[in-house]
Amino acid sequence: MPVLEIRNLVKQFDAVRAVDDLSFAVEPGEIFGFLGGNGAGKTTTLRMVLDILRPTSGSITLFGAPPSRRVASAIGFLPEERGLYAAMSAIDTIVYFGRLKGMDDALAKRRGLELLERFDLAGRAKSNIGDMSKGMAQKVQLATALVNKPDLLMLDEPFSGLDPVNQGLLEDEILRASRRGAAVIFSTHVMQHAERLCDRLLLLRKGRKRFEGTLTEARAQLPARLNAVAKADLSQLPGVSGAQPTPGGDPEWTKWSLQLAAGVDPGQVLEHCTAKGIALRRWDHQQASLHDVFVQLVGAEDVAP
Amino acid sequence: MKAANILLVAKRELLQILKMRSFWLTLLILPIALALGPVLGETLADDEPTRVTIIDRSNAATAKAIEARFALDETQFLLRELARYVERYDLQAADRSAIWTQRGRWYTPADIAAFEAAGGIDAALKAIETVRPGGVPQFEAPAHDYKFNAAPAALLAASGPAFDKAKFDKVAQGLLAKDPDNTNPEIIVLIPDSYPADAAIGLYSSDEVRGSFVAKLQDVLTADLRTRLLAESGVTGERAALVQTIAPTIATTTPPPGGGAREVLLVRSIVPLALAYILMMSLMLSGSWMLQGSIEERANKLLESLLACISPEELMYGKLLGGLSVGLMMISVWAGCAGVAAFATQGAIADMIRPALEPISSPAIIAAIIFFFIAGYIAISAIFVAIGSLADSMSEAQGFMMPVLLIILLPITFLLQAIIAGNDGVIVQILTWVPLWTPFAVLARLGLGIETWELVGSGIMLAAAIAVELVLVARLFRASLLATGQKPKLAKLLQRFRRPSEAG
Repeated sequence: MPVLEIRNLVKQFDAVRAVDDLSFAVEPGEIFGFLGGNGAGKTTTLRMVLDILRPTSGSITLFGAPPSRRVASAIGFLPEERGLYAAMSAIDTIVYFGRLKGMDDALAKRRGLELLERFDLAGRAKSNIGDMSKGMAQKVQLATALVNKPDLLMLDEPFSGLDPVNQGLLEDEILRASRRGAAVIFSTHVMQHAERLCDRLLLLRKGRKRFEGTLTEARAQLPARLNAVAKADLSQLPGVSGAQPTPGGDPEWTKWSLQLAAGVDPGQVLEHCTAKGIALRRWDHQQASLHDVFVQLVGAEDVAP
Repeated sequence: MKAANILLVAKRELLQILKMRSFWLTLLILPIALALGPVLGETLADDEPTRVTIIDRSNAATAKAIEARFALDETQFLLRELARYVERYDLQAADRSAIWTQRGRWYTPADIAAFEAAGGIDAALKAIETVRPGGVPQFEAPAHDYKFNAAPAALLAASGPAFDKAKFDKVAQGLLAKDPDNTNPEIIVLIPDSYPADAAIGLYSSDEVRGSFVAKLQDVLTADLRTRLLAESGVTGERAALVQTIAPTIATTTPPPGGGAREVLLVRSIVPLALAYILMMSLMLSGSWMLQGSIEERANKLLESLLACISPEELMYGKLLGGLSVGLMMISVWAGCAGVAAFATQGAIADMIRPALEPISSPAIIAAIIFFFIAGYIAISAIFVAIGSLADSMSEAQGFMMPVLLIILLPITFLLQAIIAGNDGVIVQILTWVPLWTPFAVLARLGLGIETWELVGSGIMLAAAIAVELVLVARLFRASLLATGQKPKLAKLLQRFRRPSEAG
């Protein structure tokens, strides 16, 4: 049974349709990337899953039931806009959120201390949040999301504002949660993290789903590119939709930049060359990056560098 | 809604406020101010008598007559105070035949002469001491208002045979202006040598002269002039004196001390008025914490984290409960301090508190006080929470807060003044039935006496109004929670009250 299943979800704010007929499902142990530019509808969707907002239409099923705070104990959430009570200590903050999620005081404290230890903040457990650096406070907030060992971990732009070390720490926590069977949904517009972590991806643009599938499937959305060096004219090969010759140093050999038609496997083209006795010095297959897919499907203005 | 979540939020709010220095300052400032008040009052009070010098150039014994009159009046006042003291503490057994144990007597010059002849205040206090039980404070004689001193040498010299009015004026004004060791006269009365033919009396003073002093001086001199005039008309001196002094014997009938109509009203209203004041004070003082608590999650951007765990209603009710706990804690501490003060002083305060507690001593009234106090706190606190939910920062919230506070507090100040004046007219009646002011009006009116049907009716109306208020504020709170940075126009704001739940 999926941890989360969304069907035909719509959210309308006055004249703006923030989420438009969105459907997807997330299975236990899966890391699900929720990709889209600013205003794509990622945060609105997550808020509806958390029952902070109610959908205009469509349905959300969370652990087999409609969203409600009865399942708060099974959810961990890290919002995009982050902040904590400045006058509360790190451990008290984690315990407070743990208790709001139905944990007892002792367990919340024990888990909180374990997390602080893991995040290299054990010595600052009793420090007030207001006395901590922004990075430390963000780690405490991550701990508040993880303290209940959630079955569904939702992270809204979790990498923004983190330094490379803490980004690595967050990636480890996402993988750790997935390994113990939790479903992880995280929204981002930084493609590298999605490429490294996600089992499946969903690309959103102006509230509408543009793609859902694995990373390989995503890459296959764009035609593959080939760089080859050959004596023969490669522009006439079957499956090649475009070819750009570049003269090299050796007049006998030509550098070719080839673009394959959508759905054409580069291996088949290579096989054809071999069968036809076309001499090749180089055959370099370049798969489309997620960045390219994102730019193609969502738009260049919405992707982070 | 989960009660456990409400309690968790309330506990956090309470602990957060308890960590603030401003809370402890606020908590202690009232008892400290009340404790320091009497000390400062005594320190600052001018209980030194005003020094008066009379230069009587007429040698007509007028100065003596003036001094005698002031002495008579002061003794009369002393006797009245002594009689009140004796009556208040039931000390008549000290000397049942003495005039100061006779209630309602208006003391004549003859009474005062008899009192002085019997040994005056010293003899009276000695007699009282034999019957004064432990715990009854000693009588404190009122301070003299005026002290008549001999003229300083410079003034005597200036008023001698070679009298020159301009020179005398200069010397007198010099003495009044410069007084490094506080020994010079503060008032100089000059009676001219040709008095009574010349009845122009000179009055020099370093400050504004009290009207009562001038009236008394004029009274003595007028009587003297009339006596002389009567004598010139053939009425003998004794007969003339009788004409001047003849007066009816007035027997006054007033309730015993602490029982006078107005006094009774004030004493009975002390605790109810104090309750209304304390409710107002604690709301004003804790209002900014409530506001801060209401804004904190928005300002610190942790609303979404919280709303992922608890509902907006749980958050709001938790905040209200936290604020209420702080308010009740403050009031308990203040009431405890008042109790300690009453116990420590035993005498005067305990004596005053006893009749003051009478109107609020029945269990039903105590229950009513607790209800209206808590209801009042919730009703006003919910408004603060609503204000907080509309603002993104404390400064913005305070901008909303000021006009709202004025609207709430101004009628309350009028109301309390009306109750002090013993007036429970139309305005007080109206305020009793307007839920925003019901708690204050009912608490303040408990001393004057409030009909049971009014108490119950206004209580039911208040409870109903709070129920509606909480529903509306909850809608506003919920609808405004995630609308950070949006400045709603009136129509949009009203929509937030109307619109059914958007957030879960």
